[in-house]
Amino acid sequence: MALRAPVVLLAAFLLPPQGAQNLGTDLNGHPILELAQAHAKAVVLFFTASDCPISNRYIPEIERLDREFTPQGVAFWWVYPNPSDTAEVIRQHQEQFNFRGQIVLDTAQQITRMAHATITPEAALFVPASSGLREVYLGRIDNRYVALGQERPAATTHDLESAIRAALNRMPVPKAGGPVVGCSIVPLNAS
Amino acid sequence: MNSSRHRLKALHRIASAPSRSAVLFGVMLIATISVATIAASAPAQHGAPAASVPVTWNHDIAPIVYSNCSVCHHPGGGGPFSLLSFHDAVRRGPQILEATGSRYMPPWLPASGFGDFAGARRLSDEQIALIRRWVESGMPEGDLAAPAPPRFDTTWQLGKPDLVLTVERPFALAAGGADVFRNFIFQYPLSQTHFIRAVQILPSVPSVVHHANILIDRTASFRRLHPNDWQDGIPGMELQVDAGNTFDPDSHFLFWKPDTPALEEPESMPWRLDPGNDLVLNMHLKPSGKPENITAQIGLYFSAAPAVEHPMLLQLEDDRDLDIPAGAHNFVVEDELTLPIDVKVLGVYPHAHYLGRELAGWAILPNHQKKWLIRIPSWDIDRQSVYRYREPMMLPHGTVLHMRYVYDNSADNIHNPNSPPIRVRAGNRSVDEMAHFWLQVLPVNTPRDSPDPRLLLERAWMEHRVKRGPDDVIARYNLAAAEAGLGHYDRAAVEYRQVLSATPGDARALNSLGAALESAGDLGKAREAFQQAMDRAPESCDAEFNLAGLQLKLSRFAEAEAHLRAVLQRCPDDASAHSALGVALTGKGDSSAAQAEFERALAIDSSDFTALYHLGEDAIASGALDRAIDLLQRGSAQRPDDLDTRERLAMALAQSGRADDALTQLYAAEKIAPADASVHSLLAQLLASSGALAGAIDEQTRALHLQPKDADGWNNLGVLEARAGRTAAARADFQHALDLAPDHVQARANLARLHQQ
Repeated sequence: MALRAPVVLLAAFLLPPQGAQNLGTDLNGHPILELAQAHAKAVVLFFTASDCPISNRYIPEIERLDREFTPQGVAFWWVYPNPSDTAEVIRQHQEQFNFRGQIVLDTAQQITRMAHATITPEAALFVPASSGLREVYLGRIDNRYVALGQERPAATTHDLESAIRAALNRMPVPKAGGPVVGCSIVPLNAS
Repeated sequence: MNSSRHRLKALHRIASAPSRSAVLFGVMLIATISVATIAASAPAQHGAPAASVPVTWNHDIAPIVYSNCSVCHHPGGGGPFSLLSFHDAVRRGPQILEATGSRYMPPWLPASGFGDFAGARRLSDEQIALIRRWVESGMPEGDLAAPAPPRFDTTWQLGKPDLVLTVERPFALAAGGADVFRNFIFQYPLSQTHFIRAVQILPSVPSVVHHANILIDRTASFRRLHPNDWQDGIPGMELQVDAGNTFDPDSHFLFWKPDTPALEEPESMPWRLDPGNDLVLNMHLKPSGKPENITAQIGLYFSAAPAVEHPMLLQLEDDRDLDIPAGAHNFVVEDELTLPIDVKVLGVYPHAHYLGRELAGWAILPNHQKKWLIRIPSWDIDRQSVYRYREPMMLPHGTVLHMRYVYDNSADNIHNPNSPPIRVRAGNRSVDEMAHFWLQVLPVNTPRDSPDPRLLLERAWMEHRVKRGPDDVIARYNLAAAEAGLGHYDRAAVEYRQVLSATPGDARALNSLGAALESAGDLGKAREAFQQAMDRAPESCDAEFNLAGLQLKLSRFAEAEAHLRAVLQRCPDDASAHSALGVALTGKGDSSAAQAEFERALAIDSSDFTALYHLGEDAIASGALDRAIDLLQRGSAQRPDDLDTRERLAMALAQSGRADDALTQLYAAEKIAPADASVHSLLAQLLASSGALAGAIDEQTRALHLQPKDADGWNNLGVLEARAGRTAAARADFQHALDLAPDHVQARANLARLHQQ
């Protein structure tokens, strides 16, 4: 899965301009107006679904990255794009899997479209650009899953982690080394 | 009687504990194959709707999904999500297309046409094409009424089990990380033997359990190996258990996978659990992303009748040659084994770890015909299974079984646990490898008077292993034990000595050597071997028990008693030692103390044969016939071929007025040992007492044919002939008795009485 368009403008860096794009809501139904504070060096969107087994198996790995990189100025968001993942379902999901983090209900799938995400678990990485955020990585978290039914005992390449490190070091961000394996994001009209 | 029971310890058996892994459902982002192209280019399938007819959920897809997918994909099932409705299917449509198109789902490794297996889970090409057309056309529901989804019972499938065993302590499975292989030990808590007709595992969280496998640990050896932490489960993919002191080979694949939760055995082949046995549940667990508490339960269903057919697990393997260089793409190992007897193959279980790629097994019959047992072109440990044949496969003796496994230790093998690849050898960690091919075989066409055919299989198997690896001490030990089991004590002793030259001073081998020598009649050397074994392992109870048994055989009751009391100091719950002490005390004439020991033995193990037999004899002597019958019947159930027990049981039955039951026992005894004169004599007495004189004379004549120098027997025949009015024959019989024993008082008196008539 290659890096998509080199520059994708995503709203809301610094102050949201007038008529800001819909960035979804939090678990209490409040609109999310910005994905990154002024000091953020990068933003990671983790597209997930409560009923996707492979997504769920990546929760510990995302938490690990969160713990490691949040102190370095990276903002992590858990983005739920599927219509069936309501606030109540997501609360239960958090409870069951015992994780905390910033949640986005991407009810209109606007973030999903802007990031070009199609699968859970898929990760997008953005860095600040002059007029917003620029997507520098979209793809798998690592190479543990190679295809449906083909799984390594442990990942040997940590694509997302390498991308974050490169972004923090202002180095060229490497592309993902292989496809994302998981569950399709459900189109809004399919539910 | 049974005072010198030997403990032929140590049929070590390497029980392969399998591992299978979870159902990973997902879709490849790049796998957007042109569905339309494939569907259009596929040849028209018979029965498939014409291309113009829409494929709908209700009409076409629901029946496929409900009969092939829902068995795992239901709440509480092993599948990670449900497929029980149109909505479920639409949510997963792209994954279903990808998973079935690549034949990732339903999980089924064997290639079609290489073994006809029960429960084969393969979709037809036609079904896969229908799914493609359905997804491509937007997954329409259709107008017809939807078929009802299947229902699944997530608890005990066969009703409440007779016995439920629960894991000692819950196991905390971490949220993430590598797969976990863990062995949970369950103690069989009952004091009587049961045959098990079915078993079910409730893994508590089925979706994280790829597979589970139960091993029977006859001697609780695995628990004893981990005295302090067994309650938490022991990590490891495979384990070794000590098979104990009698030939009792593994016989059943007790393999659990999500789509077959209850495992039922054929009616003739339940498996046995004895007091003191443990069950070891080997589980392959896959972290799900959240912590899980595993509280597995095993439900056992008892059979009313014991097993009448006795299968055996045979193994081909080549762990010895598993030394796979880093980077090797095509590393091959092979094994073969010639069958010494006719068998039916009931099922197979191929096993390798993560480097295995192609696994194949086949048989070459004596007429050179090749029969495929199985071929797995693309091995995946996560989907391993036991495969049972739809119809058992008959293989005559002389057939050569083959296995050929190919391994890929390159970086191209995504399952490779080592990155970068390293040299890999055999072992029980997931980073090691294995090359095992198990077969469940049932001996058939066993000639009358043949020894246990499984011993012949064991000998052939172990001889083969010793030939391949002369330093394979376990195989040589098992070969020795098989020879001893076949009554070839001299050969057994030779093999045990070989074991001892490889492992000098091994207490178990010394003890077994002693037992073989004793059976071969060399009591002096046997005693030496037992003594050496005791010196090497003074904490062990076996050798001293056997030494005591040898002394019982020599009627040295006081010495036997001293040794047995010493044994019981160390092993107070050893039922055999209590009953042997009972025998020693009986020999010394202390029958009340003896009785107490027999009772203690029975309290520990209600099936202790020696105690049942002796207490049965005592009960006859004291006129407690009902008790005698109960005890001896239980004893006879333990050893159906033991003549003494049947004879005494017949006596007790006859004295209770149950002549017909007594005759049944004696006819059974006659069938077991047609050349045993005492059985015919007893039959003659019993028939005579019920007035069947002609039959009695026949039986007594048979007894004398077998034992012509039995003066008492001739006298008895004379009495029968006289009662039948055949005076001349009677006279000749009494005279015959007197010729053999001139001072035979009764024969002389009977002859005199005849002369007076």
